[in-house]
Amino acid sequence: MIWGVIVGGVVGTVVLTTALRAASELRLTRMDIPFLLGTAFSQDRVRAKVIGYGLHFMFGVLFALVYYAVFSAVDRSGVLLGALLGLVHGLFAGTALVNILLPAVHPRMGTGFDAAGDAPQLEPPGFMLVNYGRRTPLATVVAHIAYGAIVGGFAAWAG
Amino acid sequence: MMARMAAPIRIDGYAPIRDYAAIGDGRTVALVARDGSIDWLCLPDLDSPSVFGALLDRDEGGRFALEPTVPHDAARRYLPQTNVLETTFETAEGAVRVTDALTLPSGRLGPFRELARRVEGLRGRVPMRWSVEPRFAYGAQRPAFSTRAGVPVAASGSDALAVLSWDAGEAEVVGASVGSDFVAEAGQRSLLALSAARQEPLVFPARADVETRLDGTARTWRDWASARGYVGPWRDAVIRSALVLKLLVFAPSGAIAAAPTTSLPEDVGGSRNWDYRFSWPRDAAFTLHALLSLGCDGEARAFFSWLLHASQLTHPRLQVLYRLDGRIDAAEKELPLAGYRGSAPVRIGNGAAEQLQLDVYGEVLSAAALFASFAGGLDGDQARRVAEIADLVCDLWRRPDAGIWEVRSEPMHFTQSKMMCAVALDHAVALADSNLLPRANADRWREESARIRVWIDRNGFAEHKGNYTRASGETELDASLLLAVLAGYDRADAPRLVATVDAVREELGRGPLVHRYLDEDGLPGEEGAFVACTFWLVEALARQRRTDEAVALMDEAVGLANDVGLYAEEIDPASGDFLGNFPQGLSHLALINAATALAEAAP
Repeated sequence: MIWGVIVGGVVGTVVLTTALRAASELRLTRMDIPFLLGTAFSQDRVRAKVIGYGLHFMFGVLFALVYYAVFSAVDRSGVLLGALLGLVHGLFAGTALVNILLPAVHPRMGTGFDAAGDAPQLEPPGFMLVNYGRRTPLATVVAHIAYGAIVGGFAAWAG
Repeated sequence: MMARMAAPIRIDGYAPIRDYAAIGDGRTVALVARDGSIDWLCLPDLDSPSVFGALLDRDEGGRFALEPTVPHDAARRYLPQTNVLETTFETAEGAVRVTDALTLPSGRLGPFRELARRVEGLRGRVPMRWSVEPRFAYGAQRPAFSTRAGVPVAASGSDALAVLSWDAGEAEVVGASVGSDFVAEAGQRSLLALSAARQEPLVFPARADVETRLDGTARTWRDWASARGYVGPWRDAVIRSALVLKLLVFAPSGAIAAAPTTSLPEDVGGSRNWDYRFSWPRDAAFTLHALLSLGCDGEARAFFSWLLHASQLTHPRLQVLYRLDGRIDAAEKELPLAGYRGSAPVRIGNGAAEQLQLDVYGEVLSAAALFASFAGGLDGDQARRVAEIADLVCDLWRRPDAGIWEVRSEPMHFTQSKMMCAVALDHAVALADSNLLPRANADRWREESARIRVWIDRNGFAEHKGNYTRASGETELDASLLLAVLAGYDRADAPRLVATVDAVREELGRGPLVHRYLDEDGLPGEEGAFVACTFWLVEALARQRRTDEAVALMDEAVGLANDVGLYAEEIDPASGDFLGNFPQGLSHLALINAATALAEAAP
């Protein structure tokens, strides 16, 4: 099953990234995960995006392994369970992961307590990432549900 | 050199077009009025919807105002050889200097787009006020401000704008605006910056970064301008024109916009209001000639490849205009804005895209010939496409068209359109003779060119006056006939062309200014004189070796620019007011080419 989960993690990340990009083109959100991740490591926009995409796919596979742990613990997998985990994952991303943890470790991300200082800062995401657009929570959660469903589907398929 | 001090004026809340200056970053352009108000800015790109559009609607358009709160005079200049604007306000209390730029990227993480305004107290204590009133989507959306990391942010859909200020008072949000009052004291420096984002989180820059980028932007412009090749008596005007042209180059694609604005009227209060934020293949030859003569080889290559790339979807037909990113859709629609001094409708998109304009083919093949001579040839694909365009000209030239001026009346047989078809085929023949184009159809191109010339002699020439005429069966003149000299339709000093140049000057000239035509064009209202025509006349005279006349006219024409050296599309001969979109690329292209022709004609 583990290889199915890894492949599912890659495919799911492709779909998640594409869905968020599409939401951005549809003017629903300014959420840009590769940009957020990459700017932690580079001030060059192009390099940051390249690094960001690499990191995003790496995290996509790492999260799939967390899903694998859950599937193994409950001894079942599938699209529905994956989608449920995706929902939890999306809510966690919006409330804690990107909202609190990322600003805490990101060297260039502002928090609600900062004023503009000596270094460029990224706009903080806010609760459920709502600073990046009012429909960002919806787009993020839906994209993560799709990710989870794909990981779950691949896991079940690989047995 | 700083222009003279004068009190800024507004008429019904609108600054005269002449009172604007342009700043830009190769992706978008802002217009700054003499009174310090930024009344036009589209984000993130030059052809995106406006965020500041007070230029077209003083109440709903949005602006970024920055000025003394006490009576004042203003004078401005560009920092030498840059697109960084410096406005000095003189008041009874003291003097203050504002430096404006859309900054160019630096090595540090910076905003997607950044507008920087530095305020320096020069003397005394000057009470100042600033106010940012963003109105996204051409004024349709009044955003509510919220605060992120202590910074006021306005957002709409996937667009956002952060307003940063340092030593410029405590920013206060009132409704859909943010601003403050502060006092600029001698020796004190304040800074305002707008950080814009689309489809990504905002970047809030540090003050030191904005200051560094502002200085770096001036340095980059200066380096670019000082590398330009022209040497001659009109160097200042030529370099300013080159800098305007560079502002209009859309860096992501290499396309060159005709102007950064839409719907500045050709007739104040009238309906001749068009969107010029597109690239016209017609300007290709003028553009390449200007770029190459100034040593802008990189820009010339980028523009020619954009031209071939953009026209790929319509090949071999050439659309009249293309979007800056190369797309072909340009559907025209009207916006619910009041229009500059009531000049409605305000249009976006441009219906001329659908017209048949035959002269485009002559200009594009002239550009191909110029490029081939610069690059030492054309590659196989370029050559095939140029040959197919020549074949199309053979099929199309007998049809009536909308002409160079894109008239909205019924299509006509315009003489200049036919001339440019002949020029197109002549270039194709010459390129084929040099083995730069496939030769299979060269005889057909030669024969059709000869037929066009016979047609023009029969239908586009007034025997009794000895000059070419505007259109078949007409005796009216058209300033576009000057292009016959510039494009090499015949020897520059051929008697018929000399007579045509004289007739245009006599019948369409108003002092140094030249009208395009005096005939009907299917639109209500009247227009001003077309600035490019004056420079075309200079160039035609220069090519006809009438150097004294050309020099005298060039001196007058250079004096028609506004205080910072910019031209609109047209000038009202009676009042001297600027009309039409601003700054107009074609006016500046024509200036550069006229100066270059005069340099070449100099003994």
